[in-house]
Amino acid sequence: MGTLLRQIIKNCEHLSRLSISNNLLKPGNSPLLALIATKRYSNVPTPYEVVDIKAEEKSNKEVINQVNQLVKDNNISRLFAVVHVTGKQFKITEGDVIVIEGYWPPTVGDKILLDKVLLAGSTDFTLIGRPIVQKGLVRVEATVIEKTLSHTKTHFRKKRRKQYMRINFFRIQQTYLRINKVCINGEVNNPPEVRGLETAIF
Amino acid sequence: MVFTTVVNFVRSRGPDEFWRKRKIFKLAAHYIGRRRNCYSITIRNVHRALVYATKGRKLRKEDMANLWETRIKAGCEQHDIPYETLREGLTRCDILVNRKTLSELACWEPYTFKALTDVARRRALDDGLKGVTNENDIDRIITRGSLNKA
Repeated sequence: MGTLLRQIIKNCEHLSRLSISNNLLKPGNSPLLALIATKRYSNVPTPYEVVDIKAEEKSNKEVINQVNQLVKDNNISRLFAVVHVTGKQFKITEGDVIVIEGYWPPTVGDKILLDKVLLAGSTDFTLIGRPIVQKGLVRVEATVIEKTLSHTKTHFRKKRRKQYMRINFFRIQQTYLRINKVCINGEVNNPPEVRGLETAIF
Repeated sequence: MVFTTVVNFVRSRGPDEFWRKRKIFKLAAHYIGRRRNCYSITIRNVHRALVYATKGRKLRKEDMANLWETRIKAGCEQHDIPYETLREGLTRCDILVNRKTLSELACWEPYTFKALTDVARRRALDDGLKGVTNENDIDRIITRGSLNKA
């Protein structure tokens, strides 16, 4: 069975994954297939598959080039990005305000770059990071606009008939971040030679 | 202390009973019937409300997590991939998007969510995870090599 199949594969060049399964299901394409598709042998497609690396690279390049062209022509609509800030993920776009809770050092007026971009997309394409997209490719600028405390929250515990009652009050630190800009800098899949300096300030 | 009314000035002289009760009545201002007027009934209800508020903060987080999961599952159903397989497939591809983000994408970015399900499905097919078969293979959008760790 194995040798037979290998022969078939040899016979037909540049077989895609789909076409091999289709071929197996449709006997008659090759005289050898008729031999396999009998009562004795299974018609189930083989677990292994033929991968044409060149064709894959070509299709990959096509997609990447299309995205690059869109970026180059400035033909992209409003971008959204998913950023990771203080252990939380935010889906943001230009002009958004996000609230970061808890202790976070940046002060009012600080302009910062949100580096950990997990995902960025527009109407025509999505860049998916594993786990983050190429550093410096998606530039997310933000400004700290306000640092305040939340409203007073009451922490009240009580047990009936047990003379147990506790009351505490607390407020949470909040930082308001305005997203100034979400844009793509440079080319997809073409990182600069010197890396790691995208966000460095000299 | 500055009092804007004479009534409050008069109150400030005696025992603090009025002020003690007023704190509670303020919290019960929106209650209906005797709950807002009779102190002994008010205090009972205010205490109960405060306990609920404290517990509710935790419950709200759990509820939101459930809601996110429901939304993702709805999206998964649309694209014919089980929820568990989607999460597992994405994790194996090092795509670490959390449930909150996934649900937002499922709601507002259908194409992005479709792309993520495609990635997860490809990975599930390659790794032999349950819930996906070759029948719902996609048209060679994602290639095997690009999903392997470099």
